[in-house]
Amino acid sequence: MLKLSQSDPAAPTRVVIIGAGGFIGAALSHTLARETKVVGLGSKDVDLLSNDAATRLESQLATGDAVVFISALTPDRGRGLDTVIRNLRMTESVTKALAGKAISQLVYVSSDAVYDDATSLIRETSPCNPSTFHGAMHLTREIALRQAAQAGKFPLTLIRPTAVYGPGDTHGAYGPNRFLNTAAKEGRVALFGEGEERRDHLFIDDLCALTSRCLGHRTEGVINAVSGTAVSFREVAERAQAVLARPVTIVGSPRANPITHRHFDTSALRAAFPTLPITSLDEGLKRTLAAMKA
Amino acid sequence: MIAVAGLSHLGIVTSAALAAKGFDLIAFDERPGVADALAAGMLPISEPGLDNLLDKARYHLRYTASAADLTRAEVVFITRDVPTDASNRADSSVVDNILKAIEPHLAKSAIVVVMSQVSPGFLRPRHDALAKKGVLSFYQVETLVFGSAVERATLPERYIVGCENPSQPLPPAYRRVLEAFNCPILTMRIESAELSKIAINCYLASTVAVTNTLAALCEKNGADWAEIAPALRLDKRIGQHAYLAPGLGLAGGNIERDLIAVLDAAALHGTEAGTAEAWLRMSAWRRNWPLHVLSETLLGRQKKSSTRIAIWGLAYKLGTHSLKNAPSVEFIEHLQRTRPALSIATWDPIAPLPTELTTEQCRQHDSPLDALDGADALVIFTPHPELSTVPIGEIVSRMHGRLVIDPFRVLPLTTAQAAGLRIVSLGVPSC
Repeated sequence: MLKLSQSDPAAPTRVVIIGAGGFIGAALSHTLARETKVVGLGSKDVDLLSNDAATRLESQLATGDAVVFISALTPDRGRGLDTVIRNLRMTESVTKALAGKAISQLVYVSSDAVYDDATSLIRETSPCNPSTFHGAMHLTREIALRQAAQAGKFPLTLIRPTAVYGPGDTHGAYGPNRFLNTAAKEGRVALFGEGEERRDHLFIDDLCALTSRCLGHRTEGVINAVSGTAVSFREVAERAQAVLARPVTIVGSPRANPITHRHFDTSALRAAFPTLPITSLDEGLKRTLAAMKA
Repeated sequence: MIAVAGLSHLGIVTSAALAAKGFDLIAFDERPGVADALAAGMLPISEPGLDNLLDKARYHLRYTASAADLTRAEVVFITRDVPTDASNRADSSVVDNILKAIEPHLAKSAIVVVMSQVSPGFLRPRHDALAKKGVLSFYQVETLVFGSAVERATLPERYIVGCENPSQPLPPAYRRVLEAFNCPILTMRIESAELSKIAINCYLASTVAVTNTLAALCEKNGADWAEIAPALRLDKRIGQHAYLAPGLGLAGGNIERDLIAVLDAAALHGTEAGTAEAWLRMSAWRRNWPLHVLSETLLGRQKKSSTRIAIWGLAYKLGTHSLKNAPSVEFIEHLQRTRPALSIATWDPIAPLPTELTTEQCRQHDSPLDALDGADALVIFTPHPELSTVPIGEIVSRMHGRLVIDPFRVLPLTTAQAAGLRIVSLGVPSC
């Protein structure tokens, strides 16, 4: 659940984005730059795995800064324990850098992978029971950052996004971006099973808008970043085909795992930000395709 | 002529009930040997009153393994019980197989009525496909209760029928069949009827879960559920026939199957169904009650390896041979797995001990007293009325120990305690 410290939104004087070079970080930098001063830090600016990372990061932070921590090695960069350890070392650098710094707020972009796979209707109070290293890593990071926030007495916002898609996504994960790509380039979309699983897909701009509001209201707590609409992967593929306006072969495959669905209860999101616009899947696909063509 | 296709529990009882009303009936099942066995009077199920019903039905009932015999049927009831897997998930493919088998032989004006326990959303696509071939189809809710199946088939409370257009009267041939049973006929859209079936079992599950939740509290805080239940029955909102007897969780498979159907449908559509999950959790916890009691009393303290447990009743309730999800089976499996030296002696008047559980150390006996010889503890899983008249003195003299786990309070408590037996029951503190 989210607590709003400022009922009237006011952008922080300066926002430091740790992980500004990635898909979400770049889009967020672009969005926030329209509202306030943004310092975007990528791995070229501060390598969070280096021995002097904490010192170098600390030198970039000023009193009163709002900090957004996004940087993470995503599953496409490795799914093993070594990736978890590197991600945690990066977190350690961040928490050390934050120690003693009077920042105004920390926003951490976590993941819905922290929740139990078996839960089909998820809300912010649902038990966290990750089944993957990726989910466990995010949950461990959340705990570490909670401790840092408690020690530093600054508000912490944990944003747990579902699968995010849109222009600039380089991960190629199973979902809208990959479907659009393969449909455009190869004229086909390959599904696991018949693509029956229903999932929530969030357009990148919506995540940026939500993060902006969390900063503007100096929020504290947990919020799921979701669209509130779960559709099957087959439906995503069919809509990608419709957006492309050309025939696409949608191919199923023998099912390896049982069908599970994942929906989100958006009550907390709606309570915190009743006017937050959510981009429809059709619109999101159209805008992603337009960016691909550009 | 009418037909019943799919001769498992529901089909056997339904065909007998319809034929006993005087309808000429052909009962079809293409599985090898099923029709022949029934024609020879060999029943794979046990239901009170079924023999008499079949006796009344015999001049109107013919069994067949050939779908070609259904060509003259005006109404075909599909009644094959839908099997469930270990997680109680239904497999409706058996109904599709029957539809596939009978479809080429259906008369042009034939009516198909699905009574099998299909999942919500099953009939609509089949209905539409059959309609294109001129065959009308309906979903009729079955409310078979193991142990009372004959009574419920011959004296139904009501019929619930799902149809394409509820404002239209049912076709005369189908209506004639239902009206012969002289009870209200509720017509509704197909999806409503499918969900009605599940709604009934959900309400039953909720009552069972509430009863067991409070009965468990009684066992710890000094209250007696047997004193509370009559007070609840006098509340009109709860009612005389509510499921207020504490039990060992859900068993038999039917209610469990419908709860899983609710969870699956809720997962698909993203609706909240945590209550159904809670009912299943409560059921799983209560199922282990006899094991908990045995561990806390006898097994946790006894050093000797030659412990002997007597079990009266294997079926999960009276009047049935069904062992689907029966607590007794789980109890025996657990003891065999964790206490291989322990010996078990069982008795049940209807349900046989499954062969996979039968070993040198686990045998079924012909009488309750034979099963009791030398037992350190007695566990009564099925409340057979005749057990309440077994002389307490005989029980005491046959048993080696004094512990009786009597969840349903079958034995006369005062006499049993006076004779030195330690009785542990559901819903009341043990003493």
